[in-house]
Amino acid sequence: MAKTIGLINLHSNISFKALTERRPVASVSFLGRYGIIDFVLSNFSNSDIDSVGVLIQEKPRSLFRHLGFGNEWNFNRKSGGVTLMYNEKYANNVRYNHDINNMVENISFIKKSKADYVVIAPAHIITIMDFEDLVKAHQESGAEITMVYQHIDNADSSFIGSDYLKINNGKVEEIKINKGNKEERDISLETYVFNYDVLLDIINYATDLSSFYDLKDTLTYLIDERDIYTYQYQGYARCFNSVENYLKYSLELLDDHVYSQIFKSNWPIFTRTNDTPPTKYKEHAVVNQSFVANGAVIDGKVEHSIIGREVEIGEGATVINSIIFTGSKIANGAYLENVIVDKDAIIKNITNLIGTKSNPLYVREGDVV
Amino acid sequence: MKKEIVAMILAGGRGTRLEALTAKVAKPAVYFGGRYRIIDFPLSNCSNSGIDIVGVLTQYESVLLGTYVGSGGKWGLDGVSSTAAILPARERGEVGATWYEGTADAIYQNISFLDSYSPEYVLILSGDHIYKMDYDNMLAAHKKRNADLTVAVLNVSLEEASRFGIMNTYEDGTIYEFEEKPAEPKSTLASMGVYIFSYQALRDHLIEDANDQTSKHDFGMNIIPSMLAAGKRLFAYEFSGYWKDVGTLESLWQANMDLLDDSNSLDLYNIKRDWKIYSADTLAHPQVIGNDAIIKNSLITQGCVINGEVTGSVIFSNVFVGKGAKVVDSVLMPGVLIEEGAEVYRAIVDEDCVVHSKEKINKGQKEVALVCDNDRG
Repeated sequence: MAKTIGLINLHSNISFKALTERRPVASVSFLGRYGIIDFVLSNFSNSDIDSVGVLIQEKPRSLFRHLGFGNEWNFNRKSGGVTLMYNEKYANNVRYNHDINNMVENISFIKKSKADYVVIAPAHIITIMDFEDLVKAHQESGAEITMVYQHIDNADSSFIGSDYLKINNGKVEEIKINKGNKEERDISLETYVFNYDVLLDIINYATDLSSFYDLKDTLTYLIDERDIYTYQYQGYARCFNSVENYLKYSLELLDDHVYSQIFKSNWPIFTRTNDTPPTKYKEHAVVNQSFVANGAVIDGKVEHSIIGREVEIGEGATVINSIIFTGSKIANGAYLENVIVDKDAIIKNITNLIGTKSNPLYVREGDVV
Repeated sequence: MKKEIVAMILAGGRGTRLEALTAKVAKPAVYFGGRYRIIDFPLSNCSNSGIDIVGVLTQYESVLLGTYVGSGGKWGLDGVSSTAAILPARERGEVGATWYEGTADAIYQNISFLDSYSPEYVLILSGDHIYKMDYDNMLAAHKKRNADLTVAVLNVSLEEASRFGIMNTYEDGTIYEFEEKPAEPKSTLASMGVYIFSYQALRDHLIEDANDQTSKHDFGMNIIPSMLAAGKRLFAYEFSGYWKDVGTLESLWQANMDLLDDSNSLDLYNIKRDWKIYSADTLAHPQVIGNDAIIKNSLITQGCVINGEVTGSVIFSNVFVGKGAKVVDSVLMPGVLIEEGAEVYRAIVDEDCVVHSKEKINKGQKEVALVCDNDRG
């Protein structure tokens, strides 16, 4: 049987402003109990790909803590697991700190894997993708490289800054940046399958071409020389490329129709366990249309919001259209609308916090407001 | 490998009075508190007390319990020099197949397990009690008094005392007499079934007890009296805090309801975050609270979808409560489905049960009802 390994590519220029000051996008809390990276990790796990490397761009601390050896994602800890690939050498050198150089520095992980195929996928584009199907299609097509895309009709408002593909006869003809000037596009999901030896070739090739070329640049450059096949993915896909989209796509999941696209009984989403007790809803709790994680204590009103682990919402407090991260406390009587409250913050003195949907008010980790 | 202390959790009991809830699982594996199994409490207490070798003695319906405990990873006990070891009643070389004939016999049959750690002390626990306790403090008291046996006791009311094993003590805590469920109690210090033995004394008395054909091989009835008779140093260690032995459906229900009371000292919410109760994680999405949901005074766990009304209830993972349904003063075990418009009052609904839309369970009744698939066809 062919062996496939995975690489999660965290190299990107996406930031969630203050939310990613001290953590990468991959570690940002999602739906109150996950990290954004849990979805791609679960895709690998559910696709029976047991050995996964994480190409870390920066701010690795929260990832080390979250991922450990990867036991929580059900990887076999003897034959597989999660390998954290961090490129210390280039950490402070922006132009050099890209995925190709990271792979060069950590090439032994790829070489020791004895894999036939390597699947590379990002964390910030969340999908529910079966990589087994993808690899199978790659094998059957006889491709050396396969790129995954999704045909979308809202490219004017989503995946801005992502690449779109011009496809001819199942192969990539052109790769361009989506500037949002057209609705219909075949958007690259930055997910690829490579034959093992082809990936090694490309890494060498890229290095020869330019020390500043990352994987995207290299593939764009390569189109004329190599056949890049395409694979159309049709499920849930969202590009978490800004803090506004983070709020929008998080709250959008409160709609049953969206929600049922990512939570499926045959596709568990794994995450690190925290042993928090059930959530306590007290006498004055009024909670509607919300996701609530375990360990919270709620005595106020919560509407269309996401409440993280061990959050406390005091009596008479109101939380609307907001995301409250782990361990934060909202005092009695406070009013929050369109607010993102980062971990362990306390809202107690200035208690009327109102942002807008396109520009949510942000309270930093550990701050007292 | 030498260890100062090894814990042994007695987890073989059936808990007959829990009726259908223990038809297929041992009592320590019964669900409690919205996300736990009862045995999570003694196991977490061990882990939090710094005890890293824990034997779990199983007999009745031991498969699920054994699988659940595994090597103790859920409680942080699967390190290089720590483990949880399942010790079932089994076929042994010298005597063939035997059951555990009593609490003391269960430990006696595992003397070689204990010997392998050459412990100074052995902590004996029940797998079916709900409480948070630092055994390290109790060990310190045991050492300070140079005791052979320290028994944790709870000061109960005089009326309750005749339901328990009672330790009669001198003022300094020395135990001079043990009485099992006395009609006229002389003391109100009830044994919690938590013992710290100095291992040499325990070992000697277990061997002596095993050779006594008339013995019931029980700690309370046989080992404690024989140690008292032999003039050993026995002390009571008073514990104050929440402790519950959930023997009946009613008391299991009540213990769940106790969690809804903010003044309950069990306090799972860990204000100081220093004594977590660890448990299995359920693979589940966050709680989804729908548009028309009404939730008051309740505990709800991840994986639930709540669209109806839930008051005064404890809801385990992956429960679905449909629109217009009413769940009042009840405990819903994992995977229960309450269909639209169904009503449940003062009930324990067993794992994966379905309550159909027109059903109104236990409405207007005072007694706690048990709903399980077995008796519903």
